[in-house]
Amino acid sequence: MLFFIIRRFVTMIPLLLGISVLVFVLMAIAPGDFLDVARTQEDIPAEYIERMEEEFALGEPWHTRYFIWLGNVVQGNLGESWIYRVPVTELLWQRIPATLVLSALSIMFALCVAIPMGVLAAIYKDSIFDRISSMFAYAALSIPEFFLALLAVMFAAQTGWFPTGGLSSVEHEFMSFWGRMADYAHHLVLPTIVLGMGSVASYMRIMRANFLDYIRSDFVTTARAKGLGEGRVMFVHVLRNAINPLVSASGFILATLLSGSILVENVMNYPGLGQLIFEALMRQDEFVVVAAVMMGCVMLMLGNLIADLLLAWSDPRIRLEKN
Amino acid sequence: MVFKFFIPTSLAHFLAAILLFFALASCKGDIPPLDREEHDLPRDAEISRSEPGKYGGVLVTAESQQPRTFNPLVAEDAYSSEAIGRFLNGLTTYHPIKEKVVPELALSWDISKDKRAITMELRRGVRWSDGEPFTADDVIFTFKALFDQRYPNRYMGQYTIAGEAIEFEKLDRYTVRFKTARPYSPFLYVIGFIGILPRHVHFDAFERGELLQQWSMRTAMHAPRELVGTGPFRVRSFRPGQRIVYEPNPHYWRVDSQGQRLPYVDYLITRYVQDRNTETVLFASGQIDAAAITPGDVVGVRKNASLHDYTVHHRGPATGIRFLWFNQKPGESQAGTAYVEPHKLEWFTSRKFRQAILHGFNREGLIQSVYFGRAQLLHSIISPANERWHNPDVPRYHYDPDRALELLRQDGFEPDQDGHLVDKKGNQVSFQVYASEGDDITPQILSTFRENMRDLGITVRIRYLDFGTLVARVSRHFEYEGAMMGFTGGADPSGGRAIYLSSGRLHLWNPEQEEPQTDWEARIDELVYASEETFDLDKRVSYVHQMQEVFSEELPLLYLVTPYAYVGLKNRWQNVRIPSMGSVIWNIDELYLGPEK
Repeated sequence: MLFFIIRRFVTMIPLLLGISVLVFVLMAIAPGDFLDVARTQEDIPAEYIERMEEEFALGEPWHTRYFIWLGNVVQGNLGESWIYRVPVTELLWQRIPATLVLSALSIMFALCVAIPMGVLAAIYKDSIFDRISSMFAYAALSIPEFFLALLAVMFAAQTGWFPTGGLSSVEHEFMSFWGRMADYAHHLVLPTIVLGMGSVASYMRIMRANFLDYIRSDFVTTARAKGLGEGRVMFVHVLRNAINPLVSASGFILATLLSGSILVENVMNYPGLGQLIFEALMRQDEFVVVAAVMMGCVMLMLGNLIADLLLAWSDPRIRLEKN
Repeated sequence: MVFKFFIPTSLAHFLAAILLFFALASCKGDIPPLDREEHDLPRDAEISRSEPGKYGGVLVTAESQQPRTFNPLVAEDAYSSEAIGRFLNGLTTYHPIKEKVVPELALSWDISKDKRAITMELRRGVRWSDGEPFTADDVIFTFKALFDQRYPNRYMGQYTIAGEAIEFEKLDRYTVRFKTARPYSPFLYVIGFIGILPRHVHFDAFERGELLQQWSMRTAMHAPRELVGTGPFRVRSFRPGQRIVYEPNPHYWRVDSQGQRLPYVDYLITRYVQDRNTETVLFASGQIDAAAITPGDVVGVRKNASLHDYTVHHRGPATGIRFLWFNQKPGESQAGTAYVEPHKLEWFTSRKFRQAILHGFNREGLIQSVYFGRAQLLHSIISPANERWHNPDVPRYHYDPDRALELLRQDGFEPDQDGHLVDKKGNQVSFQVYASEGDDITPQILSTFRENMRDLGITVRIRYLDFGTLVARVSRHFEYEGAMMGFTGGADPSGGRAIYLSSGRLHLWNPEQEEPQTDWEARIDELVYASEETFDLDKRVSYVHQMQEVFSEELPLLYLVTPYAYVGLKNRWQNVRIPSMGSVIWNIDELYLGPEK
């Protein structure tokens, strides 16, 4: 098991190197650079811009800059954000908690809604509930997240039931501890639903399809023949088997949520990583972009690793060592 | 039962929990009034002439971007500068209502006979927000830091006059003297740009070479009290991507006529929103106190005015300018191709051609169709919002296609039998205009332009580029024919010298010339320098007016229209005075909450 984990980490290294090269090349090909904004401000002197070009090594070809960067990374230094002049790691850490909370909540939301709905849709196949839920699933899958986010903001603005964006209200720091928690929760409801909605639909479909597969298997007949109650057959025997594909699919959740959250966070004004990455991309704040892309990558791989481990834990037929 | 958790009954619990939180959140309390510290008033406290008010209230604003840093040496964007200006003061500042430079940390100044030495007396008894006294040492320290080669910053170039850094020396504890290589009349204006730094806070970091790492956003997040200043506020808390909360600086040096220390507000809160539209929505739903409103949103926002008790004020023309221009740069790129094809360069460098194009452009129509009448024609390189410097009597180019054709004929252009305009050598007139995508008005302006040009027999191709590409093309590669852009505009014309001077970086049509290439550009250079050397305000204005005449006669930039600016403000705020340009809450320290209606 340990060997398996170590091997997965080792294979990450060449992948990350490849991705970082790709990011540097793409950033070099992309038109303009970080100093464009300063260049169009009439009251910033030319000498200052020259000094900055020198400091950021913007005149150098991308491979020179890449190796300077790589040298620093090997020493544990991911560089400094050009916009904020603080270390990239620190900048990312400021935003990670907010995004993780949102991601974790949307995963929980998605699973809590999708699993029961998928199961019910499978048990009552072709019933009116099944039809409605699949209609809902296709609709949710085909609506882009940012659009859903816009609808949510409109809903909040119209009804006034929820805040129109952000993570906390203006009065936040003057509240009691519980008041602050409630304030956070109040702000998290809409983003969680928006971000989780797409996953709800896809998990529900996966759950339903697998459940249907297993409902027809021999062990179900055996269990029924033994005289087990229908509830026990469905929720213990069938569910236990049908949940495996969902576990492996959840490996991608972290990564897809991260990419989804870039749009949702921007529309809903949520102070997470997405906002930061979006700004860094637009301004071409190179080291932040590279770090963010690599982090997304690490999250994808970690997510897959965790999914594999969970799968091994939930399904005794799977042995990681033999893979 | 392994999967008990997933059974729908727990879903109901989950929803119930959310509802409970929701109920809790909706009964949140108001912000408690501030407990103010009492400190002696400084000897040279400034007494505000505004009507005395009373303490209390929270003023909430919104910005579409957050400050990147709280260190004035690092800041290069308006949002950081604004945040820094809340807690730091300059020596002088620009008063947007009086339209002149007024004292801030300097109490008064004296200009020597040769106009090169400026002696400033500082305000006595002023204290930093941590209680330490403010003296000439702080001023000297600030200027030493900004001329230190270890700390590149934008002010270094701004305070280099005629190629030489300004000199500064301390005469006594409350007097400093500046010297410039040549007489420089915008001096008093520009000297106020840099916020004076507290020496006692930064001296060690300065010595270690770490001054630029000081006062980053992490200071504001974790130790806001370390942002020590003399300004009206100090930072109470900063949450990136969310908001900044300021509270009054208990050592601030301005008082009202009843001896109450300003500012009146208990807290000033700036929320960060992702874009301008959100700001408008927040204002229209009564969640923030002030917001800039675009001409297109005025009607919609006014609908809620009585519900949330606010007014949308008309501020007159906006301060920025927008224009189209043609590339007039001669020569070849490194690859050996001409920046502009020679026959096109000949058109673009012809004054009559440029005048004809502007005459042929129906800008009056644009005002009706795009801005619904909430804009006016722009005739000069300085916006009419800048009343002191704007010259209203420059040559104007109204929509007049006949005049346009006449000018083109004088220059040797003739329409051929198919209606295409051709030059004397038989080339059909066509050019490409680059613009940056991203705002919804640009395409409307440019399609009108293209239609108008087609009426003259000119083919215009429009290409939209990403902003970075556009900047790179016009300022580094020079490979373009025409382009459209804008500048924001400042209070003093010295801020535009990068555009006006032929050696300027933003002399867009032909930047960074070693020697002025045309007589009129030489004339502009002369006028700019003359205006910066004279201390007689009327003379300065006259030079700047002449400069605008040359620009409008030669038309290197074809001005578009200038939309009107609108600002929304809640009516409960008293002492509001809305200037024609700049921030609407520029006198935030004097604003106070009036009686509730």
